[in-house]
Amino acid sequence: MLDVKIDHILLNGSEIVKNIRFSLKQKMIYTILGRNGSGKSTLIKALTGLLNSGVYSVNGKVLLQNNDLLSCSSDYLIRLRSSQIKYVFQDPVNSFDHLKKLKYYFKKTGKPEEDVLKLLGEFLFEEPAKIFSMYPYELSGGMAQRLNFVLAFLSSPDLLILDEPTSGIDNAVSNLLLLKLKSFVCQESKSVLLVTQDLNWAAKVSSKIAFLENGTLSDFRTPEEFFNSSDNLVKSFLTSLQMIKK
Amino acid sequence: MKNILNITGLCCDVEIKDSVFGKSKKKRILNNISFSFERGKILGISGKSGSGKTTLAKCICGVIPPSSGKIKIEVTNPESKSRSAQLLFQNSSDIVNPYRKIYRMVEEAIDYSSQKIEDRENEIKEIFETINFPSHLWHKRGFQLSGGEQQRAALARILAVRPELLVLDEPFSAQDVESQLNLVNLFLKIKEKLNVSIICISHDLKILRKLCDEIIILFKGEIVEKGTTEKVFSNPTHPYTKFLLKSENYDLSYEELQLHKEALE
Repeated sequence: MLDVKIDHILLNGSEIVKNIRFSLKQKMIYTILGRNGSGKSTLIKALTGLLNSGVYSVNGKVLLQNNDLLSCSSDYLIRLRSSQIKYVFQDPVNSFDHLKKLKYYFKKTGKPEEDVLKLLGEFLFEEPAKIFSMYPYELSGGMAQRLNFVLAFLSSPDLLILDEPTSGIDNAVSNLLLLKLKSFVCQESKSVLLVTQDLNWAAKVSSKIAFLENGTLSDFRTPEEFFNSSDNLVKSFLTSLQMIKK
Repeated sequence: MKNILNITGLCCDVEIKDSVFGKSKKKRILNNISFSFERGKILGISGKSGSGKTTLAKCICGVIPPSSGKIKIEVTNPESKSRSAQLLFQNSSDIVNPYRKIYRMVEEAIDYSSQKIEDRENEIKEIFETINFPSHLWHKRGFQLSGGEQQRAALARILAVRPELLVLDEPFSAQDVESQLNLVNLFLKIKEKLNVSIICISHDLKILRKLCDEIIILFKGEIVEKGTTEKVFSNPTHPYTKFLLKSENYDLSYEELQLHKEALE
């Protein structure tokens, strides 16, 4: 459904990532692992032209149904990001405007209230009806992240792109998100692309895993292949990541 | 004198005032907490946000008075009674004065504690060395330090009054895993070298497992599980503890999550 051929992404002339080639198929969860500053977030933002073109330059193609997203107008991309490709960014609480009640965000999706309530219930909110009149600063991190997911799911996108969905989120909520993502990709023509540093979570959630280091992306492999790989590059990456983690 | 801390029937209420009608209602934060804690050990307290962890820490250190119940700290040195329990606050970087030199801050703590110390310089040096605070930072000011360094500076100040019981409130939050492990080793070193007992509050069970001898799990202001670390992790009895342990490995099913809806943050 999405074909990515990015030759390189430059930040003020210096190369952040280079030679990225992958394609996403439906009904799959793709994970990109990588350390802080490896360019994960830059890469996923580049896919729909979210990078500031004043400082970044992206060379290559991102094909969605033979339509190159990198050469599309920004109006088209805005519409695309509100329907077909949805993002959930890092820092869930500050993804919201703190002066607007959450009702504002639910209204924007154009979905009837019953649908919203039903989805809130599925995300295990205790009193879904109360959420409407709350302000974002009243939410905990886990609640805010669940709401980001609810909002993303409401527009029923084909591709969901997640940036560090579990950072700062407690285990039980991460566990819930994992189950929700899995049932999301059970539907026809849906897929997920996410970046994370959480090895355990990645191992449980992913259909395919790749890692980004020194600006290059490895091949996508299944979690079993990835974690038992005899490839020296993968091995050294995993040990270096585990050194930090353990 | 085997136990350093005995708590019996501790309750803590807060008053919530209605700003319009001036009525107030009481909310119970801690309900009937009783436990004792052996000298020279490390106790971990865990539970979700709002379960009363920080309130318990503040009660133990005398920051807030309990509504009822008794907290008794058994000290070996009666002179040091008023400063025998010290609390390292969660936002430790906020309590380091940004404009003061760290060395002066620790010196001041010693002055105020009315300890009879002959070689003050050596005493300060020893404290800094125990917490691995490099000498080039001693004469820096608060704002020149990173978050982790500020936390250790706050720790130095607390240790300067030679407490017998150290209470740490979420010392691991906002740190990457590597520095978390360094902190665990640091606390173990402090325990050995300065002969203090430690109570560590954290929502992160993985890290408590590495640090603590005993664990207490709080749920809605009550103790639901208490025992040695080994026992709590291998043989939990309360359903909430089981839930917490299972969620660590992301092994919960949707039905189990549904059952513990109110435990999600």
